[in-house]
Amino acid sequence: MATNAPHEGESREPIVAHHFNNIRQQHASVRFGMWIFLVTEVLFFGGVLCAYAATRIWYPKEFEAGSTALNPFIASINTFLLLTSSFTITLAIRAAYKGQHTGLRLWLASTIVLGTVFLGFKAREYYGDYEEGLIPGPLKTQVDDVDTNGKPILREVSVFAVNLKHVLEHKGGKAKEISDKMTWNERDRTQIFFVFYYGMTGLHVLHMIVGIGLLIWQLLLAQLGFFKPTERFIYIEVMSLYWHFVDLVWIFLFPLLYMAGKHSMDGIF
Amino acid sequence: MATSTAATENLTESVLELDYTPQMAPPVTDLDGPPKVHYLNHSFGWLSWLLTVDHKRIGILYLIPLTIFFMCGGIAAGLVRLNLIQPYGAILELDQYNKAFTAHGTIMLFLFLIPVIPGVLGNFFVPMMIGAKDMAFPKLNLASWYVWMAGAMFFIAALLFGGLDTGWTFYPPYSSKYSHTNVLAAGLGVFITGFSSILTGLNIIATVHKMRAPGMTWGRLPLFVWAMYATSIIQILATPVLAMAVCLLATERIFQVGIFDPTLGGDPLLFQHLFWYYSHPAVYIMILPGMGVINEVITCFSRKNIFGYKAVAWSSVGIAVVGFLVWGHHMFLSGQGIYLGLVFSVLTMLVAIPSAVKVFNWTATLYGGQITYEAPMLFVIGFIVLFTIGGLTGLFLGIIGTDIHLHDTYFVIAHFHFTMVGGMMFAWQAGLHFYWPKMTGKMYSDFWSRMAAVIMLVGFSLTFLPQFIAGYHGLPRRYPYYPVEFQMMNILSTAGATIQGFGYLMPAVYLPLSLFFGRNAGANPWRATGLEWQTPSPPTPHNFEELPIVTHAPYEYALPSKYNLESGHAYEVTKGESGGH
Repeated sequence: MATNAPHEGESREPIVAHHFNNIRQQHASVRFGMWIFLVTEVLFFGGVLCAYAATRIWYPKEFEAGSTALNPFIASINTFLLLTSSFTITLAIRAAYKGQHTGLRLWLASTIVLGTVFLGFKAREYYGDYEEGLIPGPLKTQVDDVDTNGKPILREVSVFAVNLKHVLEHKGGKAKEISDKMTWNERDRTQIFFVFYYGMTGLHVLHMIVGIGLLIWQLLLAQLGFFKPTERFIYIEVMSLYWHFVDLVWIFLFPLLYMAGKHSMDGIF
Repeated sequence: MATSTAATENLTESVLELDYTPQMAPPVTDLDGPPKVHYLNHSFGWLSWLLTVDHKRIGILYLIPLTIFFMCGGIAAGLVRLNLIQPYGAILELDQYNKAFTAHGTIMLFLFLIPVIPGVLGNFFVPMMIGAKDMAFPKLNLASWYVWMAGAMFFIAALLFGGLDTGWTFYPPYSSKYSHTNVLAAGLGVFITGFSSILTGLNIIATVHKMRAPGMTWGRLPLFVWAMYATSIIQILATPVLAMAVCLLATERIFQVGIFDPTLGGDPLLFQHLFWYYSHPAVYIMILPGMGVINEVITCFSRKNIFGYKAVAWSSVGIAVVGFLVWGHHMFLSGQGIYLGLVFSVLTMLVAIPSAVKVFNWTATLYGGQITYEAPMLFVIGFIVLFTIGGLTGLFLGIIGTDIHLHDTYFVIAHFHFTMVGGMMFAWQAGLHFYWPKMTGKMYSDFWSRMAAVIMLVGFSLTFLPQFIAGYHGLPRRYPYYPVEFQMMNILSTAGATIQGFGYLMPAVYLPLSLFFGRNAGANPWRATGLEWQTPSPPTPHNFEELPIVTHAPYEYALPSKYNLESGHAYEVTKGESGGH
């Protein structure tokens, strides 16, 4: 594909790509394209949020218990980090608008650092969940239980259910109260909450990794002087749109996953 | 293009000036040969194809694998039909039969019908029709081809090594508990091709919004572009939800927990809701581009402006919108609430309105036209007849009462194939035959192409009309065995499928042959309006040498100048007709 001849004395790609008539058209297209992409992302997460909502309405108790078993402390720190990174990337756009290349590199780098620290904390949180055994799966074990007549029996339940019981009882207080009210069937079904927990946060992490990859790519480009003409701020701008979206997804996930225990749905219907 | 001398002279005094009114349009000729440098020969080597960002070359890149996938899906259909010659199965084992009809459905839907017109004609012609040099995001366009190929290869591999026996709908528990086939790999394939679909839709929306040439207002967009736009909206809004449904299915299989499995606390209806939220709009992803093609062809071969431009344009958008609200009509018998079923039934009736608007407008366009029956037009007439039958039988299935009788019978199969094959496949053939001279610069055999259209029509009708009857009498779909009294119907179907298969093979012979033996088509062999016909055939690498300026509506085949000569009030007439400024 032939492209327009590069500007005189310039070996890099021309600022306006070959198929656009002018820079305004190019900017409008790039910005518009990213918004359309974000629409599809909204629908993508919309699908899982819909499934989450349906399941939570069916199983309010299980969701309450699952949510209580999570560790909201790390998640709160993470929320703070992610919001801050949204702020730093906005500063990066400002620097790109103004052609401040040191500032651009600084703010891009800080966004990358904040995002990476987020991922580090998230990994620590997953590890904690793993250590507590809160992983859904087909493994079974036997526990002492009583049948409907009060006769002691050995009941086959999933390993997950036993681990959940231990975690909740270890937390004490309200968590223990919730746990005591649950039957073994309900403990088994709490796996569904954890499927949503791992699925939704996993997708979010995936988006974060892609975003950090793109940010590193842009930092390299900035280092090479790609953004020197101020016209190229548009790439930083659409990158920040994506980053804000990832941030926004977390803003939805945090209450849905970590605070479901604080707002019981019991008795709503 | 407004660069002809006549155009510039008269531009100020009247908007009548069309540089391609029928009086001035070039006659069918092979005098103006292909340009020296065009998109096919401006660079050589397989790398120049695999790394191209030219939307026209990417269109060709889609065309070749799509044709192969169509053949694969056709072979699978042939196996199914052959097996059904005898009541207890003629050639296939039971699980082979399941795999064969699943392969047919999945390949045809995910690897052929969904990408075919957006991938080939959409890529090739949307930028040309709106006067752009390329799509808004050419690299993304190439990337979406690679994504699609990767997904398709993955999918085909899953089918070849182990197969898939869930039916194209992936319903749990067929796809979760009871399947020992490659559900995960095939699901991943669908997931990946879905991304390609999203990216193509995104690209087309951005292109239509931002890349239109000066003067190409929304009211002057060719209706194919409107249809592609509506299709793309469905693609970007519906496909992510399918991706999520497949994700959840994969999660269920990997973790072995219940999201859709009721014994573990899940709900299979949830999958059906998520699946049909995509897959019902997906049938409009398949049919809308076909409807767009029909507008281009039918106006050209009846030499008339489209009847009711705005109605046709908005009916595309209407189908896209209402199409999102009707998914529940697939689940009348799945245990969703009866009142919910009633609502979905009523909403389903609503889709008939924009569809009927289109059919009536096409018929009205034919009325009083100077109709000629070249191959594309034959396909279009086939489309209108077959799609009308398909659409009307769809009403039987949309009404909750009759659907309870007809649900999961061959009636559904026949209805679906009338819309998808009789509709979409014929529209695709029409589009391919209409645009082939533009894409390749060569004209194919007139006689054989008309023969192909007739043979396909005969074969198709013979295949699927008996299935309406068999289905009405209660023959269930997807069963390998059937009562002996249905054997005659099945034999008729299989005979029709054979004729149809022969019909599909014909273009695969004479179209490639035309590349070597066909005469030069010239820039505008059909004397059609539209910016794409103003370029040489095959088009030059950047489509337009200079930025085209659009001064009139898309289908001005009629002769406004005639009014001008006879009655002298042409200005008002044209102003009214050109519409939507």
